Amino acid sequence: MIRLLLLVVLTTVTLAACGTTNTGGTGAGSGTTADGVDRARLSAELYFFNWSDYIEPSILEDFEAEYGVRVIMDLYDANEAMIAKIRAGNSGYDVVVPSDYAVQSMVAEGLLAPLDTTLLTNSGNNDPALMGLFFDEQNAYSMPYFWSTTGIAYNTTVFPTPPTSWSALFDPAQLAAISGKFTMLDDARETPGAALIYQGQSVNTTDPAALAAARELLIAQKPFVAAYDSANTNLKLATEEIVIAHYWSGGAGQAIVGLEDKPGNPNIDFTIPQEGGVIWMDTLAIVHDSPNQYTANVFINYLMRPEVAAKNADYVLYLTPNQAARALLSAETQAVLEVIEPSAEERERLQWIERTGESDTAFSQLWTEVLAE
Amino acid sequence: MAEETLTRAAPTAPAAARDTPRRGFGEGALLVNAIFCYLFLYVPILILIVFSFSNSSLAGVWGGFTFDWYVKLFQNTRLMTAMGNSLYVATASMIVATVIGTLVALGMERFRFRGRQAFDVQLYMPVVIPDIVMAVMLLLFFSNAFQLLNALLGSSFRLSLTTVIMAHITFNIAFVAVVVRSSLKGFDWRLEEAAQDLGANEFNTFRHVTFPLILPGIIGGALMAFTLSLDDYVISYFTNGPGASTLPIEVFSRIVAASAPTINAVSTVIFLASLLLVSVSQLLQRRR
Amino acid sequence: MIFFLLPFLIIIVYAFSSRSPTGGVEFTFTLNNFITLFSDPVYLSIFWRSIWMGVVTTVLCALIGYPLALFIVLQPVRWRSILIFLILIPFWTNFLVRIYAWMTILGNNGIVNSTIGFFGFEPVTMLGTQGAVLLGLVYGELPFMVLPIYASIDRFDFRLLEAANDLGASRWQRFVRVMLPLTAPGIAAGSVLVFIPTAGNYIVPALLGGGKVALIGNFLEQQFGSAQNQPLGSAAALLVMLVLTAGVVFYFRVTDEGER
Repeated sequence: MIRLLLLVVLTTVTLAACGTTNTGGTGAGSGTTADGVDRARLSAELYFFNWSDYIEPSILEDFEAEYGVRVIMDLYDANEAMIAKIRAGNSGYDVVVPSDYAVQSMVAEGLLAPLDTTLLTNSGNNDPALMGLFFDEQNAYSMPYFWSTTGIAYNTTVFPTPPTSWSALFDPAQLAAISGKFTMLDDARETPGAALIYQGQSVNTTDPAALAAARELLIAQKPFVAAYDSANTNLKLATEEIVIAHYWSGGAGQAIVGLEDKPGNPNIDFTIPQEGGVIWMDTLAIVHDSPNQYTANVFINYLMRPEVAAKNADYVLYLTPNQAARALLSAETQAVLEVIEPSAEERERLQWIERTGESDTAFSQLWTEVLAE
Repeated sequence: MAEETLTRAAPTAPAAARDTPRRGFGEGALLVNAIFCYLFLYVPILILIVFSFSNSSLAGVWGGFTFDWYVKLFQNTRLMTAMGNSLYVATASMIVATVIGTLVALGMERFRFRGRQAFDVQLYMPVVIPDIVMAVMLLLFFSNAFQLLNALLGSSFRLSLTTVIMAHITFNIAFVAVVVRSSLKGFDWRLEEAAQDLGANEFNTFRHVTFPLILPGIIGGALMAFTLSLDDYVISYFTNGPGASTLPIEVFSRIVAASAPTINAVSTVIFLASLLLVSVSQLLQRRR
Repeated sequence: MIFFLLPFLIIIVYAFSSRSPTGGVEFTFTLNNFITLFSDPVYLSIFWRSIWMGVVTTVLCALIGYPLALFIVLQPVRWRSILIFLILIPFWTNFLVRIYAWMTILGNNGIVNSTIGFFGFEPVTMLGTQGAVLLGLVYGELPFMVLPIYASIDRFDFRLLEAANDLGASRWQRFVRVMLPLTAPGIAAGSVLVFIPTAGNYIVPALLGGGKVALIGNFLEQQFGSAQNQPLGSAAALLVMLVLTAGVVFYFRVTDEGER
């Protein structure tokens, strides 16, 4: 058996050879072409560190076909896992997709390289309301990629009248009927945040009394919760394993339409409760020690082309910040947007989660106490 | 080769013992327990296999027979590459860790050297460190060491599949050593003396006396190392380089988001391949 | 050996450092991490729950693993290696995938509930309970108990039982007084191999326990992951490792003594 395995080894050794970066031009003629990109300055490969299922796969092939740059994508499932590898240095990655607060902390630690705005000719396509936000006021380090809200996703066959308040997830009288059939996000800020919003507080408060009250509310809710889960909620909603959930709008969209092999369920709906909800955004940014910054800027600019952004949004189903892409979305995506896109009135009620050293410690402690109960 | 030695394990008990009827253990109860255990281990696998042929992408719902997921799997170069990487890492780290781990266990059992206890504690360190802690620490260690080396030598070391293998060897040595040591307990060292009295040199003593006697332990350790390595996610995730994903990393990022049936298909392929590998080697051996 | 020691040294340094506001590490000597861990009973309760779950898992594994190993040893030689491989083969399939399979078995609309629903019983919520976590832990660790026990029973000289029989020992006495002590090293090695990963496991509590049954592994994962508090995580890891190492060394000391 060992001999057989050795054979397998020999055949796979070739796969393991380290890739080399920055090998210069790709053979295409040098000099700047009509689109303002100097092909001679492009690298042969670009390393893209992205969330899973967060880009339409053929976009990477199209980019390679057009510029001759092979994009190698690895996946992560949490900002912190990505930051840990970038912070250690020598990660080898060029482009990453940090969320709002992560941009702020990565800039503070010097982990991101400034963008080259002269190369980002498509940045004007973005919704001005989603540019220049608190985490990167000049958009010097990040470009919006997708955005979303956090609210309540539910199954209309079980809730013929839509829930209008967070009480649907926190009021003990209403919980008995859905015990073991609803999930909350597994997140030290989002989940206490929902409790705080229900109690009329800011999601960013660090007032000990407010946090204590939120903790008690979550502990009282815990026996009824099926799971604290962020990763499988779309599938659980679609298969009716659960009937209502604290969830992201984009994930609710995926539960309606289905994603790749996964089934969809047209009975899923999404709402921002009257007390309010959370808004957040993922961005495109370049790693500070990336040797391929020119190529990285070209890649980010490519993703902001209206037709590319539209194709991407049709697949990912989160909200695209690209206004020019709106008209190009498929009819199916437009229908999903009707459900998950917040109205102007709902947008008024959304809050950004901001992080400081103090709030990190307080919320992490609170969350540990809820989970340990 | 591995199976051959496992079946040869019998001579470890003196020859006469084989003829001793081993009865009176309540064979019926043992059989029931064994059937229960194998069912327990195989029920999830059976579920995977059945639903990898289901035309519905819903786990738990039968939607008619289909090969679609297998077609998708073989078109999926990411998964295929990751599978190759995983086999490579598991095999390489198993071989190195088994050799070093066995030597460590032999050394520790045979010699009562000073500081042995401190060494003892240190050996168990990788066993005792929770995965996630070990993973972050190895990442910090590799990246700092590489920064230093690259600055000094002008080299360009960085995280890759090789660092994953080194990380796996690190934790596997300890596991191999623990298993081999347990098989060395009660080993009669006088057998070695006897062999040497009969004129065998040290190498021959090891090859013909010690080695066959502890072989079941070594093989157990090697199998455990292979299994642990093949299944590791956390440590691989933190120590791998760009474009060097192993199967668990690929599975972890995909199963939570999409493609559950394709993952069922890849699991079925791995299961059937290991079953085939084992059966073939068993058959070859029986013919001898 | 360097690989063993350096990570450990890094943990020690981190455990006495503090968290920077952005989640990095500031190397200023402090005992705050340990003060935090000891001053809040919540950490102690996570610790005890983990130890308890670890002990129950180990005992359950030994109770079904020992008879299984014995069963295998008693089979004809050519069957043994097949049976051993049959235990290991499922483990060459990704653990996460197999735990997901358990989720489809135990879920609200899962296979068990559909089956009992067919016979007119009410569905039972199984996911998100301690029982589901225990099932997952035993499932994941069983082979690591069976292999060392198998190795030690395989080396056991069965003629000793006959001798004991001749000396008038009962069946139970033969097992407890002769066989069990001589195969104890295998049980000891198996227990170590089972108990320790259990303490660090966070996948089973997260998936089968619905993230509601927090164990040490989940706490560490949180501190090294989303909470970005590596110093606090390192301090906790250091304490856990001290306890586990002490336990392991004590265990081997005892089994060593038993032999002499």
